[in-house]
Amino acid sequence: MTHFTQTELDNELHRAPVEPLLPVEKKLIIWSLSVGLVLLAVLAAVNHFFPVTT
Amino acid sequence: MSNAYATDVNSPDTTAPVTAAVLNEDWLAVILGLAIFILGLGAVANVDLIGWVVSTSVWGNVSNAISPVSKNYASLGGVGALLATYVGLTLVLSAGVAALKTDVKKFALAFTAVFWLAYAGWFIGNYANFAAATPAEFQKFGISWSLRLTNEGAFIFALILGLIIANVFPRFAAAIKEAVRPELYIKIAIVILGGVIAVTVAGRLGFATAVIVRGIAAIVEAYLIYWAVVYFIARKWFGFPREWAVPLASGISICGISAAIATGGAIRARPVVPILVSSLVLVFSVVELLILPFVAQGFLSHEPLVAGAWMGLAVKTDGAAVAAGGITDALILAKNAAEGVHYQPGWILGTAAVIKVFIDIFIGVWAFVLGYIWTNHINVTRDADKAKASEIWQRFPKFIIGFVITFAIGLYFALGTSADVAKSVPGAIAEANSLRLIFFVLTFFSIGVLSDFRLLWREGFGKLVAVYVVSLFGFVIWVGLLISWIFFHGVTPPLGS
Repeated sequence: MTHFTQTELDNELHRAPVEPLLPVEKKLIIWSLSVGLVLLAVLAAVNHFFPVTT
Repeated sequence: MSNAYATDVNSPDTTAPVTAAVLNEDWLAVILGLAIFILGLGAVANVDLIGWVVSTSVWGNVSNAISPVSKNYASLGGVGALLATYVGLTLVLSAGVAALKTDVKKFALAFTAVFWLAYAGWFIGNYANFAAATPAEFQKFGISWSLRLTNEGAFIFALILGLIIANVFPRFAAAIKEAVRPELYIKIAIVILGGVIAVTVAGRLGFATAVIVRGIAAIVEAYLIYWAVVYFIARKWFGFPREWAVPLASGISICGISAAIATGGAIRARPVVPILVSSLVLVFSVVELLILPFVAQGFLSHEPLVAGAWMGLAVKTDGAAVAAGGITDALILAKNAAEGVHYQPGWILGTAAVIKVFIDIFIGVWAFVLGYIWTNHINVTRDADKAKASEIWQRFPKFIIGFVITFAIGLYFALGTSADVAKSVPGAIAEANSLRLIFFVLTFFSIGVLSDFRLLWREGFGKLVAVYVVSLFGFVIWVGLLISWIFFHGVTPPLGS
């Protein structure tokens, strides 16, 4: 498919049945956020103890 | 394209499956960027190969506006330098796109229009009442008011000209599309920028390394935090199907067009889906480009590197982000100069570019992770179609290699050579940098031409626009600012001499 008509796009985004979040998607979101927040906290601590000096 | 949606967003990965092209836009950017950089370095050996490139200054009188970048070519005059720049770029880029199997004649004709219109926009933007920024410049040009855009801020005029063409003269925009290639132009500019940054940071390697290390935080933020939140919002709050939510989340959170297309391909989405998302990314990147540098100048002028990091994190697409870094650099330095503080130029731009490059490096890895999950757990496919680790390299943005090479060469020349040679390096790099500025101008204009704001009002697009607005203005911009603040506040560029 190389393009959508207006109707096709409208059908795809507004009338298509909702796909529920699968467990694997939930896992991806939760793991991603958790690892991200932990890493950010670690990096912020490193930044605090080893600040940039000019 | 009156009632059908497809776009002409130029990108290295324009189709879902990974192609095996020998030369793509990324490699072309590496070759051209390296060639320009090496030609510029000729000046180190007193062989001035690109000193004929036009240099454009803030002007009050047209006769003083343009000149060749090197005094060795003074006899050319400004107009001669401009013509030489046009001819040189047309020849080199035409040869380049020939390798991409593009119609060279069409490209050369379209590039002629793109070059002159883009340059005209920049030239007008450099008029003293638009670009003069410091009291010294006010005095020099005998003016009492100015928009204070600065020389690089004047790129905005090229962008606006492109936007007018896209939205008022769509047929003309379609006629020149062959040469409307913001991704190619910005990638060439980024390759050259590697060397420029190296020379800028050469005397402050410890400081520069610390800044680069903090770029890691940007990767964590873009991939692990932004992506997860935007994907959740798109799926749970707006009910987007997975095929749409993945490129949308990648486009908003990671790196705009490249990420939307790479991850869309990885999950085996229909090619039209990420391309459609990309057109929206481009429109919003223009909005960010027009607003954020000025917000940064207004509120972050005493936190220059926070501003640079923020541009790299918040503005989507390589072109818009690095360009926003350039404008922010010029605007903030001008504001500080007006207060008597003279920072070395290039650090804000360098911070934005390094953060963007750091984020880009992991596009292939993230695309593989998503591809693995999708082909093994969500839309389980036969073995031959499953995501393979080799896709990481295939989707890796190759222009980054060019950036690293010019950075290493620039650093070597600045630090590893005799004092006599090292002294001539900044001048040599300045010649390549003048072409980098021209590629920025072409990028701005091209982004404008590709930004069809009428999309925002078209039926069917409302939901896409809504998720973008909610995610970008409700989350991405502010978290980007917070994280930039945590890692860069209190850090200022070295003072200039």
